Amino acid sequence: MILKKIQLTAIFIFCLFATIHTSAQAESAATAKQVVEKFQTELIAVMKNGKQLGYAGRYEKLSGPVSNSHDLTKIARIVVGKEWEKLSEAQQQKLVDVFIRLSISSYAYNFKDYSGEAFVFDSEEETTRGGVVVHSHLIIPDDKPVKFDYMLKEKGDSWRIINIIANGVSDLALKRSEYTSILQREGFDALITKINEKIDNYSKL
Amino acid sequence: MNKLYSGNRNAKSQRNILGMLIASTIFLGGCATNSATEQQQVANKDDPYEHFNRKMYTFNDRVDNYVAKPISDSYKWVTPQFVQTGVYNFFSNLKDINVVVNDVLQAKFAQSAHDTGRLALNTTMGLAGFVDVATQVGLEKNEEDFDQTLAVWGVPKGSFLVIPLVGPTTVRGIPGAIFDTAANPSSYVGIPVQLISLLNTRANAEGSLKFINEASLDPYVFTREAFLQWRHNLATDGKFEVSLDFDDELNNDVEPASKSTDISTENITLTAPEVNTEAK
Repeated sequence: MILKKIQLTAIFIFCLFATIHTSAQAESAATAKQVVEKFQTELIAVMKNGKQLGYAGRYEKLSGPVSNSHDLTKIARIVVGKEWEKLSEAQQQKLVDVFIRLSISSYAYNFKDYSGEAFVFDSEEETTRGGVVVHSHLIIPDDKPVKFDYMLKEKGDSWRIINIIANGVSDLALKRSEYTSILQREGFDALITKINEKIDNYSKL
Repeated sequence: MNKLYSGNRNAKSQRNILGMLIASTIFLGGCATNSATEQQQVANKDDPYEHFNRKMYTFNDRVDNYVAKPISDSYKWVTPQFVQTGVYNFFSNLKDINVVVNDVLQAKFAQSAHDTGRLALNTTMGLAGFVDVATQVGLEKNEEDFDQTLAVWGVPKGSFLVIPLVGPTTVRGIPGAIFDTAANPSSYVGIPVQLISLLNTRANAEGSLKFINEASLDPYVFTREAFLQWRHNLATDGKFEVSLDFDDELNNDVEPASKSTDISTENITLTAPEVNTEAK
């Protein structure tokens, strides 16, 4: 009982600290590395409570961190390539909306529990066109580490993730091939239906 | 009578030839139409045979669903985890022979010494490879194969292909696979061992296949892109390339309907060091 109280107090203090820490960072413009590390910390924290939170809880907790660290509007635009210009404004908005929900739900689904994983920062490099790549890896106990490379671009006065390369596979390139292919073969409505199906599956699986 | 018969036969064969001609015209016409529309629609220069590949992909997927997956699931269900790990290690150790050979062919001599040490340690202390002692003492596994060697020698990867019952590869991957099969001792020990090897491969791909199912909107395109990127990453030993052609699109926010440059995904592939996505 006493132990539980101590644990609760510790969690409370941690949460309080986390909030202060978050607001402090929000005030001063965070560097690319800080944006990535903050997001990774938030992700690990959700994973630690993943089972208790359940899918809906994880979705809610990750909604802010994912939206604030990624430039999801820009990503949604890049993944449809040239097709973006062919969409009406309403369609563009609809695509951005479902894409944001898909991104959060895929995090909520794929990072569901914790078994000692930890992100480790490796290095940071600037790209020729003013972007930054943050190299890091995820340590998974009893398994090979997974390399995570984050590509960030400046948006206003903060840095936002626009691509994640996991073990050498670029999420943006992968999505772009899929989305443009579906748009060209089956059209906009089919794409939205497919994305909604995925979101639905994530919440049920 | 004979004449009549032969005349009849001639007529028959002529009909057959005509039938075949019509059929082939329709077939070829069909192919031409399909490939024309596809080139217009999809225009992926790595995948000119997309129409054929998609069909093979669907075929393989069905075979997997109805044959390979049930067998693999049963294997995973009846076999204790330590046996599965042992089997995985055993075949992985045999593959290390290929790794050493390809290290040498790529002139990676320090790495070949490392991998020879790995092979020797696992074959002896690791009880013929069933236990991966080498990884535990810090001799991590490297991924090398003849397809990568050909890449290092400057052979282009060629078109993406999906081979019936085998799966995704590239034109360069075919001689690669033939050489690797020839250089692997497990190819010569008899069908039962090869069947177990296949079973082990399928069982270990379970995680990746499940992920593709869950994450992809178009499983064929997802598999193709992930496969090509993964192979590229291995062939270049994860040398990180920052080539951001989509930057043009990013920076063209102010001038919409920007120049319609080729936006093939190859140009936007970013790769990372020393990694692989092989399912474990």
